[in-house]
Amino acid sequence: MFTRSQPVWGHFLAQSPTRSTGFSGSSQAATGRAYPNGNPALGYNPPGVRNTDSALPLHRTRPVTHDYACDGPAAGSLSFRWTYGSNVAAKNRDPRVQVVQYNEDTFVLRQNVCVHWEAPFTYLLFGNKGALLIDTGATANAAHYPLRETVDAIIARWVKARGRSKVPLTVALTSAEDIAQNQGLVQFADRPDTTIVPKPLALMQKTYGIANWPSGTGRIDLGDRVITVVPTPGTHKDGVSFYDPYCDLLFTGDLLFPGKINIGNDTDFVASLERLKAFAAANPVKWLLGGHIEMMFVPGKYYPRFATFKPYERVLEMTPNLIDEALEAARAVQGKDMMLIRPDFVLFNGVSPDQRTPIWPEGVPNIRAPHPF
Amino acid sequence: MDRRAFLTYNAAIAAVPLTGAALTGLSDAASAATRPPPIDFKANLPATGTFPDKWICGSSSCIDNTDPPVQVHWYNPHTAILRQNKAYSYEAPFAPLYFGNDRVLLLDEGYVQLRNDYDLRAVVDQCIEDWCRRNGRDPASLELLVAFSHLHDDHYAATNQFADRPNTRYMGLTHEEMVGFWGMTNFPEERVTLDLGGREVLIWGSPGHVVSEFAYYDSYTQILYTGDMFYRGRCYISFWEPWFDSMKRLIQFCDTHPVTHVMGCHVEISKDGEDYAYGMTYQPDEAPVQMTVQQLREAWAYAQKITEPGIYFTGTVFLCNQTRGTTTIDKNPYRY
Repeated sequence: MFTRSQPVWGHFLAQSPTRSTGFSGSSQAATGRAYPNGNPALGYNPPGVRNTDSALPLHRTRPVTHDYACDGPAAGSLSFRWTYGSNVAAKNRDPRVQVVQYNEDTFVLRQNVCVHWEAPFTYLLFGNKGALLIDTGATANAAHYPLRETVDAIIARWVKARGRSKVPLTVALTSAEDIAQNQGLVQFADRPDTTIVPKPLALMQKTYGIANWPSGTGRIDLGDRVITVVPTPGTHKDGVSFYDPYCDLLFTGDLLFPGKINIGNDTDFVASLERLKAFAAANPVKWLLGGHIEMMFVPGKYYPRFATFKPYERVLEMTPNLIDEALEAARAVQGKDMMLIRPDFVLFNGVSPDQRTPIWPEGVPNIRAPHPF
Repeated sequence: MDRRAFLTYNAAIAAVPLTGAALTGLSDAASAATRPPPIDFKANLPATGTFPDKWICGSSSCIDNTDPPVQVHWYNPHTAILRQNKAYSYEAPFAPLYFGNDRVLLLDEGYVQLRNDYDLRAVVDQCIEDWCRRNGRDPASLELLVAFSHLHDDHYAATNQFADRPNTRYMGLTHEEMVGFWGMTNFPEERVTLDLGGREVLIWGSPGHVVSEFAYYDSYTQILYTGDMFYRGRCYISFWEPWFDSMKRLIQFCDTHPVTHVMGCHVEISKDGEDYAYGMTYQPDEAPVQMTVQQLREAWAYAQKITEPGIYFTGTVFLCNQTRGTTTIDKNPYRY
C-alpha cells in the first residue's frame, strides 16, 4: 500500500519553502523547522567542532595569565534584565544576589529588591594577581544576603579556570559611610587572603596611595589591570570612584547613578563632577556604572523610596556625556535647598529624599509610566 | 431596595427565593429547634476586648518574612481585627470584622487584588467559620457586608475577591454607591444605624482625607473607627474645611456616646513618636493602633489653632494639612 519511498519524501522537503536549516546554519540548530529538536542522524560531532578554538587550554602546566592591554574597551555585555522585585515582596523567589558576568574577568552583582529596597550593585573585577570587590550591599545578615558566599563561589570558579590555587581579594567601598553599600562588609571580616580598605579617611587615602585629597588619584593593582581611584566626595565625605582601564568602566557608586542622588555637600559635589569630567576627557570611558537604579525607563520618572517592585527600571549604564549634564544640574542646585529632575537622574540638595516638585524639566517628554499594581 | 428596606433587611428573608416558601418553613423550623438563642449584644456594654501588644510589622528583609499575609486578632469573641503584613504591602491597613446575629461587617480589605497574592476571602471565610462553630451557627446563614472606610485602593482593592461569594453584598466604588450603600441622603451629617442582628453600628460621613469617607461606631465594643481621616500616623488632609467639620462631628459624638477606643486604618509612627516614612516595610517599634478619646480631643484642640497648610504633630498624630504634594516629614538624613 505504501509504495512511496524515501526519495519521494526527500524531494518534497527540498521543494518545501518552509524547509530551513535555521539561522545559525548548524545541523543541530533548534530554529530549523524541519528538525526543531535537532537531527540525531547527523551525528553529535560534525567536522566543525574540531576547528573551534577552545576557551580553555586542555593541558595546563602553569596559571593562565591574561593580557589586559587592549585597544578600546574590552568586550563585555550587560544585556540581561535585572531582577526587579515583586508585587508581594514576601513571595519573591528571585535569587538574593543576581550575578551577571560582564566579561570573563568582570562581574556585576545586584542585591534583590525584596531583600533590601536599595538593591545596590556590587562589582567584582579580576586581574592576574588579585580580585577587587567594589561595594558590599545593604544587608549584613549573610542568611538574607549571602554576598560572601556568592563572591567565594565566583572566585573559586575563576581560580579553577585560570589554573590557580587562590587569588587575593581586596574589598573597597565607593563610600564607607554609605549604609546602602557598607553593610555586607562584616561578612568578609574573617576571610583569608583578603584586604579590606580601612574606613578612616586618612588610612583609606594611604591604602589607595592618594597623596593630596581630593585632587590626586590612587591605584589598586590587580596584576596588569590597575584600577584608578578618583576621590569624589559630594554625596558622602569619603566618596571615591573607581576606573577600570581594561573595560573602560567608571564605577561612580552613590555619586552619579540613574536615580535619586542625595547631595551631602554641594560644593564637593560640583568639584567632584568637574574632576570626573576632566578624568573622562583624559581617559577613555565607555560607561558609568553606579550603585543603584531608581529611575524608570521613561525620562525623569523614578520609583519612590522603599519600593520593592520596580518592573520598569532604567538600564544601569550611563554614557560619559551624562557627567556634563550632571555638572550642569549640580551647578543649578548649588547653594539652594531644592530638587531638580533630569531625564536620567534626580538631584536632591538639602531636601527630604521624599521631596516632590511640580516643576517638570523643559523639553523632556512627560510620559506617565505604567503603574504595576 | 430603598434605605428603609435595606436597614431592616434580614438574611432569613433573603433565603426565601432560593429555597421556596414551603421548604423554608421547614428548614426555619428545623434550624429554630437547633439554633442557639441569639447573642445579646446590648447587655454589659461596652464589651471588653484586647489589642495585641505587638502586631505583625514586616521584617528587615521582606523576602525572608515568614509571617502570615494577614494577622487575625480576636479583640473579643465577636470582633476580629485583621492587619495586613507589611511585607505584603507597605500600606498594611487594619480591617475590623464585626459579627452580629444576622450579618458580618468587614470594614476595609487590605492592599491586595489577587487571591493568588494573598487570599483575604479565605481568611474572612475562616473567621466566619470559626465564629459560627463557636456559636453553633451555620456560616451560610450569615450575610457578609464588604464595606470600606473611604475610596482609596489600599482599602477597597480586595473587593473583587468577594465578587462571586454567596450571600455577600459589597460597596460600590463611587461616592454615590458608597453613600447609597448606607442609605444616606444627607452626607456627611446624617448618622445611620446598621443592624447586624442585635449589634448596631452607627455610620456617618467623615470627609477631609478624601471626599468619600465614613466614621463607624460599633455600639457593642464602642470602638470608633475613623479610617484614614484620623489614625496613628500621617493624616493626609486633602480638604481642610471638611476635615475640620468631620473632627467636630467626631468630638460631638464622643460628647454624647461612650467610646472605648478610637481606631484608625494604619500605623506609621513608633512608640516614641518617630515617623516611619511613607513606603517603609518594617516598623519594629510601632505605636498601638488604638487611641484614646483624650488623644482625639488633644488633636482637635491642636487643629483649632492651625491656620495654614503644613505638618503639625499633635503628640499623637501628624496632621499633614494640604501638604503631601510637595513635602514630607523626614529631612535629608545626611549632610556634611
